[in-house]
Amino acid sequence: MPGRLDKDRELIKKAQQGDTRAFGDLYEAHAPVVFRYIFAHLDSRMDAEDLTAEVFLKAWQSLPKYAERGAPFLAFLFRIARNALVDHYRQNRRQDSKDPNDMDGYRAEGSVEPVDAVSSQMEHQTMLQVLYRLRPDYQTVLTLRFISELSPRETAQVMNRSEGAIRVLQHRALAALREEMNKNG
Amino acid sequence: MNLERQIDQIIQNHVHTISMGGESLESVVSEYPQIAKELRPRLEAAVWLRQARFAMATRPGYVHDSRKYLESKIESLQPHGFWKQILRRYTPQRLAFNIITPVVLVLLIAFVVNSAILTARLSIPGDPLYGAKLVIEDVRMAFTFGQAGKTSLHIQYSRERLLEFTELVMEGEYEQLPASALRMEREIIASLRSLNGVPSGEGTKNHQLVRNFKETLSNEIVILNVLKTTSPTNAYPQIELAINTVQSGLFALR
Repeated sequence: MPGRLDKDRELIKKAQQGDTRAFGDLYEAHAPVVFRYIFAHLDSRMDAEDLTAEVFLKAWQSLPKYAERGAPFLAFLFRIARNALVDHYRQNRRQDSKDPNDMDGYRAEGSVEPVDAVSSQMEHQTMLQVLYRLRPDYQTVLTLRFISELSPRETAQVMNRSEGAIRVLQHRALAALREEMNKNG
Repeated sequence: MNLERQIDQIIQNHVHTISMGGESLESVVSEYPQIAKELRPRLEAAVWLRQARFAMATRPGYVHDSRKYLESKIESLQPHGFWKQILRRYTPQRLAFNIITPVVLVLLIAFVVNSAILTARLSIPGDPLYGAKLVIEDVRMAFTFGQAGKTSLHIQYSRERLLEFTELVMEGEYEQLPASALRMEREIIASLRSLNGVPSGEGTKNHQLVRNFKETLSNEIVILNVLKTTSPTNAYPQIELAINTVQSGLFALR
């Protein structure tokens, strides 16, 4: 999406000069995508919201270094999001003595959801259960491509691979997902 | 075009319309019979993910609200120049609050203390604040310098003791009378001693103080005699004692 990229570049320039409103515009444009990516890895919506805010705060703090790296802003954001998720898992493991591979323990939700949110919550839970059985790189490629709706090019930038490699990875990941869906019934 | 790329294109082109019900998965697969075996499971998985995506949507209003929070958080993290920091620290509202709060607090404390002092000064023996009245008198005496000034204050206090005695009689608080008469006697003795201590060089002042004290004691005798005639008989002994004390003081003065 060249239009969005150009707009991003302009907003980043302003944000680097200390314009918080420009950074706010960047947030509005990218927060839903980042949120979906994070929420696809977490059980709690609240945690996902907190982590999204944390990702953008870290992005703001790292913004002066961003130009030197020269990576697209979305890739830059997703790298921060991935690190934030790793930190979150690590902290969660420290608090919870359960097996780190047992994601059901991680997913236990304590709060009562409103009635209209129950079906969406169940869909979310089912998706997490199936996705967690896949290899981490399969999870990442599927989340980025189909949940965050990034293009193959953007996904390649985030995952630091070529577009061709991403297509092959996605091809295998979709087949693996279908198999897991069969197992899950 | 390799297989992965072709399937990716098909998924990109059709996944949205399939998940929205615009076309069926079967119809799309039937368009590509040569790759149907590879396409079907992947398309099914992609459609499933696409539908699950709706459960991942942000809450309504979340992005807008959290943007405000993020902007204010970033503002607070920004380093500011010296003058900006000063201006941020001392906004007109904060400045007004910082000035008004201590002023109001001091006025409030002054009002409470003043009310307490006034109430104490009007108290008589037996009142809860009477002890405070005696302390205030002691403090005032301690901060009065010069023998003449101290004597004048002692005379004033002996007049105060008589007034207390009169009030106790009028209110029928007879059990307080002996202690009150004793305090009156002590104050008269203290006044006489203080009067003796006034330097002889201050003759006019001394004469004035003596005349003042004489007048006070004479008036006290008149008042106590009037009280004696109007009070019940059980108060007589204490009033008599007070009259004798004042008369002794008057004799000593002469």
